[in-house]
Amino acid sequence: MTALATTLERIVGPTHVLSRPAALLAYRSDALPGHRLMPSLAVMPGTREELVAVVRALAADGTPFVARGAGTGLSGGALADGIVLLGLHRLRRILAIDPAARTATVEPGVVNATLTRAAAVHGLHYAPDPSSQTACTIGGNIAENAGGPHCLKYGVTLNHVRRATVVLPSGEVVELDRGDDGGYDLLGAFVGSEGCFGVVVDATVQLTPDPQQVITLLADFLRVRDAATATSRIIAAGIVPAALELMDQATIEAVESSVYAAGYPRDAAAVLLAEVDGPSIGLADDARAIEQLCREAGARGVRVATDAGERARLWQGRKKAFGAMGRVAPHLVVQDAVVPRTALADLLEEIQAIGAAHRLRVCNVFHAGDGNLHPNIPYDADDPDESARVHRAMGEIMARCIAAGGTITGEHGVGLDKLAYMESLFTAETLDAMCALRAVFDPERRANPGKVVPVRSCREWHATAAAR
Amino acid sequence: MIRPRTTTEVLEAVRAAVRDGRALRIVGAARWNDAGHPVRAPETLSLAELTGVVSYRPDDLTMTVEAGTTLAELDATTRARGQWCPLLAWGDDHGTVGATLATATSGPFADALGRPRDLTLGLEAIDGTGRHIVAGGRVVKNVAGFDLTRALVGAWGTLGIITRVHLRLRPRPAVDATFAFTPRGAGLPPMPIAALAQVPLPSAVAATLGVADAAWLLRVGANASAVAAARAALDGAGRVVELDAAAWDLVRRDSAPPSPARQWRWDPLSLRLRDRFDPQRLLNPGLLGEAP
Repeated sequence: MTALATTLERIVGPTHVLSRPAALLAYRSDALPGHRLMPSLAVMPGTREELVAVVRALAADGTPFVARGAGTGLSGGALADGIVLLGLHRLRRILAIDPAARTATVEPGVVNATLTRAAAVHGLHYAPDPSSQTACTIGGNIAENAGGPHCLKYGVTLNHVRRATVVLPSGEVVELDRGDDGGYDLLGAFVGSEGCFGVVVDATVQLTPDPQQVITLLADFLRVRDAATATSRIIAAGIVPAALELMDQATIEAVESSVYAAGYPRDAAAVLLAEVDGPSIGLADDARAIEQLCREAGARGVRVATDAGERARLWQGRKKAFGAMGRVAPHLVVQDAVVPRTALADLLEEIQAIGAAHRLRVCNVFHAGDGNLHPNIPYDADDPDESARVHRAMGEIMARCIAAGGTITGEHGVGLDKLAYMESLFTAETLDAMCALRAVFDPERRANPGKVVPVRSCREWHATAAAR
Repeated sequence: MIRPRTTTEVLEAVRAAVRDGRALRIVGAARWNDAGHPVRAPETLSLAELTGVVSYRPDDLTMTVEAGTTLAELDATTRARGQWCPLLAWGDDHGTVGATLATATSGPFADALGRPRDLTLGLEAIDGTGRHIVAGGRVVKNVAGFDLTRALVGAWGTLGIITRVHLRLRPRPAVDATFAFTPRGAGLPPMPIAALAQVPLPSAVAATLGVADAAWLLRVGANASAVAAARAALDGAGRVVELDAAAWDLVRRDSAPPSPARQWRWDPLSLRLRDRFDPQRLLNPGLLGEAP
């Protein structure tokens, strides 16, 4: 037992400090296969006072650490390589819900769907809905600036966070907001900083009124290109769907062969799942317009669901698509990239070609309305040859997305997995400016070190390293 | 006055200023001069000639413009395609896009249509160390790297000079109606759809608009049946006069809230941010009331 472990045990109690390798195994990976790293020890504070005391003890010791919520991330961002893992899942109290102001103040370990359930009695919900919403935490969502299908209309996590109390890696506790009353947008800089700027102690998030009515449509297409065209036309027509999701043939096949079968037509090249919600007045007009635009783009059929049961069935295949792919192979890499909507059709064809060239099956299920692709590859991570082919295919897909004017991640973050692409996306000076922004919050670079920005791109760090 | 025409010329001007330790007062259309505190700088850098639409992709609903482009030009370009970038900031459309973002000036439609920070997908800027920052991108969802865009929008030019911006556009609503409303009784009735904006109408503005007794100005944008329902709800509760959307120009001009630049919060974190991006205090020094 090290001196640090003893200090941490004194703060949180001995049962909440783990140091035996067998106990630490659970923290070796997140939801993305291919990256496995072991922390040296894990500490799980149970109160805000314990959290602040732990961060201060780490600061006093000069020890780097990685904050982790539920570990559902898809970038390798929550992995600790021989350093301390700071588990936040015990900090799961909803501190306040203010139905009049439509806000909730929560600890970082509150599960996304738990907050929505707690707000339901007030006719409110927490709008950002990542696919992992039944497990992922608000703290993790803030760190990643998480998205989800309904972010097309309602916006990503950043649009729903009002303020946060944050403990900086130095142990300093600060209040962050958007600066509307005269101040820099420090909260805007913090949200999405992937655990590199500090740890949320509590956050006040916005709650959204439940819509009066919801209509869900499923359009099926014989060509993927037609589904992509329909997507662009719906957005350009001025309709703001609550969600607009595309699933390709490989995904439909995986879903329909699984226990999550949603009744999607197996012979379709793609299905488009569209949803409109809001006041019932005029909503049916928007749904009819979407149906019409899909038919004009070449849809073979359009199913319209207004009752909750039928809507849930249409959504089931989408929400459970990742689980359904578990039937196909032992591991699944869920990828993330964004392209301008008009480039979707070409990109999807190129992705298929890249997959075929590397003898891989790519299943696309993604937020088409945002141009946010999720090319997923089921594979066996224990097969070195197949793993290498997956790695090469992903590199080529990222390069194509960058060339199309897109970006390497829309909602999963850079973490470890996308580090290698940062230098092809950003200039050296811009990466250096990102390092400067990080240095405002964490000048010693002890929070989640080695993630997001390659160390060599930071002029100052480079200089210190060279001087040593 | 320095009047660069390209980002490169801004970069050269800032690098010269960094070398000489010479502070710069940064202006767009120079309409915010008295918004904060006096700027202590021997020289002015104007972005008024760094103008123009760099690219407009209507099908992607995105546009890239140089910072000195006026809101009026932005509006005219997008209107032709039935779109807009609904900044519609307090003040008027002679202001520049760069200044609107740098000051984070929103307007009466911000809650419904988004604030400047929500409509900014990415930007280019020259910071106070002479770094040329190319942040964010042209896509509508992006979490690659630390968010320099959010740090620079609303910083009043004190971290970096915004030279070019990527904006998110929206389709204009199918029906866009502005109503002056005189309630018969208790004020605004419950509305079947949310308005883009509803503001109490100052009597002087009401008189100018020729609806002297009207107490409210509302704007509703949606499909035809939803707007008709909104109108019917108002008709049932008072007198309604439909006006041209230009009525909002008066509200934007006359109802601007006080500038947040006068009450800037200089906590330790904010000072560190300034130190990292403008250590010599070359960009708009004094504007946000900081000590020399």
